[in-house]
Amino acid sequence: MPYSKILVPVVGTEVDGEAMKLACRLAKNEKEKEKSKIWAVSVVAIKRALPLDAEIDSEIKRAESVLDRVQSVAEEEEFEIETDVLQAREVGPAIVDEAVERGVSLIVMGIIYKRQFGQFSLGDVVPYVLKNSPCPVILYQQ
Amino acid sequence: MSDTLPTKPGDKVFRPRRIKYFHLKRVLGIPGLFSAGYGNVGSSIYYALGIVALTALGATPIALGAAGIIYIFNSLAYAEGAAMIPEGGGSASFARHAFNNLVGFIAGWALMLSYIATIAISAYTVPPYLSYFWPVLSEPVVSTLMSIGIIVLLMIVNVMGVKESSRLNIVFIVVDIITQIAIVVLGIVFILRVNPGVLMENMFGEGNWPSTPNFIMGIAIAALCFTGVETVSQLAEETRKPAERIPRAYFLMIIVVLVLFSGISIVALSAMTPQMLGDPVNGWGRDPVAGIAANLPIAELRNIFAPLVAVLAASILLTATNAGLLGISRLTYNLSTHKQFPSIFSRIHKRYRTPYISIILFCVVAMCLLIPGFTRPGFFSDLGALYVFGSLLGFSLAHAAILSLRINQPDVPRPFKMGWNISIKGKEISLVTFFGLIANGGIWIVILITQPFSRWAGIAWMVAGLIIYFLFRIRKKSDTPDWQIEREKEKGL
Repeated sequence: MPYSKILVPVVGTEVDGEAMKLACRLAKNEKEKEKSKIWAVSVVAIKRALPLDAEIDSEIKRAESVLDRVQSVAEEEEFEIETDVLQAREVGPAIVDEAVERGVSLIVMGIIYKRQFGQFSLGDVVPYVLKNSPCPVILYQQ
Repeated sequence: MSDTLPTKPGDKVFRPRRIKYFHLKRVLGIPGLFSAGYGNVGSSIYYALGIVALTALGATPIALGAAGIIYIFNSLAYAEGAAMIPEGGGSASFARHAFNNLVGFIAGWALMLSYIATIAISAYTVPPYLSYFWPVLSEPVVSTLMSIGIIVLLMIVNVMGVKESSRLNIVFIVVDIITQIAIVVLGIVFILRVNPGVLMENMFGEGNWPSTPNFIMGIAIAALCFTGVETVSQLAEETRKPAERIPRAYFLMIIVVLVLFSGISIVALSAMTPQMLGDPVNGWGRDPVAGIAANLPIAELRNIFAPLVAVLAASILLTATNAGLLGISRLTYNLSTHKQFPSIFSRIHKRYRTPYISIILFCVVAMCLLIPGFTRPGFFSDLGALYVFGSLLGFSLAHAAILSLRINQPDVPRPFKMGWNISIKGKEISLVTFFGLIANGGIWIVILITQPFSRWAGIAWMVAGLIIYFLFRIRKKSDTPDWQIEREKEKGL
């Protein structure tokens, strides 16, 4: 399947690295490897009491360190990726918007098993992306 | 630097950030902008109609019409400004770009006053509407206590930064508009059409037409209905394609607001006398729309609309209180980042990531404004005048800034440009801005002369702001090295 442009949203969990490895392998499968592109994005959610361009240093540094980690994972897979920090009001719409803007052909998201009120829960970001994504989405659960 | 060399005292380690520019995801569209704007402008009819009727009596619809024309001027000026300068801050940003930091601060500080007044007056009008379910809420002490409780609750919610769904906001606004349209239609069909003479009597009958000074004052107070125009431009930085969407959102707001407000004011005066409409103690002064619902001639309609209006008005007013709180915290942050205000006010809570100091401080100020409510329920018209004082000063400065930008920076791209332009010495001057400046400035002066509470409270607020500003700038200058001052001058900070 043609996955020439892949978006990997990362949040700072252990599974980010695995999702990135999966994205790299899917991109490598392409015949024209040099044309395949992977973007890793980390979204900083800004509360409504602050303007959207508020610079919360601690959050931006955290996002950068998360991106650093996945970049090194990609380098181990001999793949060069692009990384970006996004600031948005809500994470889900930011990921979908980024996918539309970049015209990606696949979104790869790493998720961890978590429970809410005793029930397995995907949270609110993953269902939003699954519902609104313009392209196929692969969820990698560790 | 080699690791073998010892570090000298003057050595500095500079680590440039790997990702220098982060991207802002702008996702707001016309529905989001309209719902935020209408949530603020549209909520004001739930309290302002009574305050206007208290002064303008039977001339209330005419006073609202006159203020509506000024509202069109303001909307058009903000549409041009926000499309040209798509950043948060509204009139404070326009004034900073057009003049300097000081004028930008004055506009921002005046705007802060209007936000605080919004918080206070919106919270103060929630209990009267809910008194339909619990009559004890119409008691001044209980009502004021509940209003203060609302502000405390929203303060906690905003410090913790609970998520707000913009979709839910849009649903609320749509239901609100449908209810308002239904009230206007039912009022016209069942009240006005049945006996049109009542409206004429309530407007022009003996004792119902105001004196000329009261009529002028009524127009000034009617400006209260249209003060939320700033909200849309505050969201400019979150809007995708702001150059197109902001003017469209403003046009939509102009049409909806003017049609609904004129309809509601005419129906209100068909349903009750202006004295009843404006009386905050024994009449419907604090909950005028509930007065219309309660005066519908058919019992079944009353039973449906009275509770519906109570719930909707309370929720819209709560949203407006919250919008005021969010607006003031964002504006404070904006002023702080442009070195116009001490950075302590933009300090962010370590856990909740919200500007907790500004939220708490301005909530406390809003609560202090409500204290007279314990003994004097009619004080809310003073609160309305204070709101008008802050807003109109901000609007006047916004018009002045747009006018100045037309003269001094004519080549800046203007995706939306107001009509009615005349050319003076090669400069294109908009008559809309010119008349807007005269009208807003004129009404502001009327408020200053005739309203002692807003005069002294407003002047005290502005003087306090200027003292903070100058002390902060002097201290900042003495703390900042010369090279940094030069660099900031170059950047225009």
